Amino acid sequence: MAQVEKFHYDNAIVRNFAYATMIWGLVGMLVGLIIALQLIFPQLNLGIAEVSYGRLRPLHTNAVIFAFVGNGIFTGVYYSLQRLLKARMFSKVLSNFHFWGWQAIIVAAALTLPLGLTSLHEYAELEWPIDLAIALVWIGFGINMFGTILKRRENHLYVAIWFYIATWVTVTVLHVGNNLELPVSAFKSYPVFAGVQDALIQWWYGHNAVAFFLTTPYLGLMYYFLPKAANRPVYSYKLSIIHFWALIFIYIWAGPHHLLYTSLPDWAQSLGTVFSVMLIAPSWGGMLNGLLTLRGAWDRVRQDPILKFMVVAVTAYGMSTFEGPMLSLKSVNAISHFTDWTIGHVHIGALGWNGFLTFGMLYWLIPRLFSTKLYSEKLANTHFWIGTLGIMFYAIPLYWAGWTQSLMWKEFTPDGFLKYGNFLETVTQILPMYAMRVVGGTYIWPEISLWYTIWSRRSAPARSLATKQPKRLHWLARMACTKANTGTAGWKEGLFKCFYLRP
Amino acid sequence: MLPPRRPPRLPLKAIFYDSFLSNGLLLFTAFVIVGAFIVMFRLLNVLIKMQQIQIYKEQGFEAFQEAQARPMENFWNNMYKRWTKVVPVEKEEDILFDHNYDGIKELDNSLPPWWVAMFYITIAFAGIYLFYFHVSGVGKSSKEQYEVEVKKAEIAIAAFQAKQADKVDEENLVPLEKETDIAAGKTLFTTNCVACHGALGEGGVGPNMTDNFWIHGGSVKNIYQTIKNGVPEKGMIAWSNQLRPADMHRLASYILTLQGTNPPNGKAPEGTEFVPEAAATPQDTTATPAEPAAPIGSGQ
Repeated sequence: MAQVEKFHYDNAIVRNFAYATMIWGLVGMLVGLIIALQLIFPQLNLGIAEVSYGRLRPLHTNAVIFAFVGNGIFTGVYYSLQRLLKARMFSKVLSNFHFWGWQAIIVAAALTLPLGLTSLHEYAELEWPIDLAIALVWIGFGINMFGTILKRRENHLYVAIWFYIATWVTVTVLHVGNNLELPVSAFKSYPVFAGVQDALIQWWYGHNAVAFFLTTPYLGLMYYFLPKAANRPVYSYKLSIIHFWALIFIYIWAGPHHLLYTSLPDWAQSLGTVFSVMLIAPSWGGMLNGLLTLRGAWDRVRQDPILKFMVVAVTAYGMSTFEGPMLSLKSVNAISHFTDWTIGHVHIGALGWNGFLTFGMLYWLIPRLFSTKLYSEKLANTHFWIGTLGIMFYAIPLYWAGWTQSLMWKEFTPDGFLKYGNFLETVTQILPMYAMRVVGGTYIWPEISLWYTIWSRRSAPARSLATKQPKRLHWLARMACTKANTGTAGWKEGLFKCFYLRP
Repeated sequence: MLPPRRPPRLPLKAIFYDSFLSNGLLLFTAFVIVGAFIVMFRLLNVLIKMQQIQIYKEQGFEAFQEAQARPMENFWNNMYKRWTKVVPVEKEEDILFDHNYDGIKELDNSLPPWWVAMFYITIAFAGIYLFYFHVSGVGKSSKEQYEVEVKKAEIAIAAFQAKQADKVDEENLVPLEKETDIAAGKTLFTTNCVACHGALGEGGVGPNMTDNFWIHGGSVKNIYQTIKNGVPEKGMIAWSNQLRPADMHRLASYILTLQGTNPPNGKAPEGTEFVPEAAATPQDTTATPAEPAAPIGSGQ
């Protein structure tokens, strides 16, 4: 008889990342709410430079992208990778280095950005010492991931893992490429590229941060957690192969669509446009494979808050990946560029796709990680509805504001002068929309409901958990139990029950 | 208050051809779309009829009658099957791979044909787009687009201004005297000039407007030109980018009414004393002031 190999998954690291996701999620979104309020009440910056809009805005984007979504990625990856490969993480040291290193980087960002230390590349504002630290931690994560893949007990790599690998490889290239800079002091550096080349590199990075930090890893998470939560087979293996390769090949070219009608050569702009349009199908391939996996489980979608979160997430992904290519058409971009339409667009992706998939994943994961059950399904459902309304209240006013701005900016008097020559006129016009967007900030609060499950786990009865390590009973209890069970028909089973509490 | 502005008016010819072209195109497009729909429905009908004949041949008269009773249903079912190629949930055991990743299984459904078609269409679009803009020579570059738009606007503006009753003849300017014009000039002054020239024209960063000393000449024509072209090296911008000629005329006329008002905190005189008779022979308008005041420099 073959020896049964025994090993345990490392759940502690997953728990840590889950905690970090929830904490940074709150922080990042709160900063967002503060700056949204500052747009209506500028005096809320209290006249302090460190908490003014210009300093806090990069903090908000960095916190949400790299702290909230970043930790969300790692939570999901560390949980699913081990199980999909049937192997414990390669190195506990590297796991911890990754976790604490990443949190230290976030804290460093939260300190330096308000102080105005920035390298001025959007979504890559952090200065060179922090960039180096990111590279180091990222490489640690890579070694850990590939090490685990090498020592796997599973022949084939599941589609989720292809997405994780694509993420790791491309983010490495992007991070290095966009942060090639010459340090002049401990906290100041200048990029090696200048002018339009710098802009092109920046948006090659900026666009692919969306692609390979907010999209591909989350598609990987979707491919693991959605079939898990729905308990349904993935719709099409073929589709997953084709859309994966198409997606990663096409995405990397689409960056120039951020620079339409600029000094970037026209051919490069056109390249960005056509690759964006060709991206519709590969993106929708992911959405289709997600939604169609739910065939035969739609009755449960109506009740299960986890599936609800995931359905809205995948739908939001489909919407924003259709809207994106439309925005990259020159005639549409002429309306949307520099307006709040763009802000509305990215928040459909951030709040809908990333936020809701994270929440769906956490609601599924936390009871399993803490061997308990969901504190309250009703609360999760409430979270879902408040969140959905929040997205609506956020996006719709900003779409409206974007169109208003665009129409006002391009309104001329018959004499050929700008009708609204003073920029402030267009700002005061959209203040009501900004106020409504703040109402959309209610999206943040129900996240607290996630904590309830953790806080309440002591009082809640333990629930079946396949991954939990068997716990030995106290020897006195064991004796009592054995006495009670021996002699009965299934005594062997009884004995086993007494030695190990199978939760 | 400013007199109400009239709506823009293009020359009749331009309006006619512009709207004829665009409306004509719209109408044509509408016809094409309606036509396409009619053709599609005819084709659909033919297809259904053919299918019914097929059923008649293969399954006999009764099946044919039944098919006739529900022609559309069949059609849509077929379309759905053809474009999704989906294996129904009940039969998915047949296409289940023996993959098993932590309990996750995978089905072998084919790529949805509508999705594949969409992918091909977007790829074709990419080719056509690049050809149109970079090979055919028809699509306009960003620069050409800009130039066309500016030219169009320039023509429209010139056409509009030529028709205005308050058209300004820059060579033969006389100060306006109508009360409404002076009031409009005052409004313009309050909006645009007070930051540098003071609420009462007493001067500040810019020179005093109430004395009869002028750096660039004190006739209405001189003042108009100063407003229009500005004195960029001293921080005075060219207002022709923001004010209509008639408004600049009103503004210049209003400024002349400030002469001798002697407001409090008046700035020391700059430039040379202006004698109205000298207006016919304007002095060197670029002459520097005898004693440049410090704030002028600091205002730049």
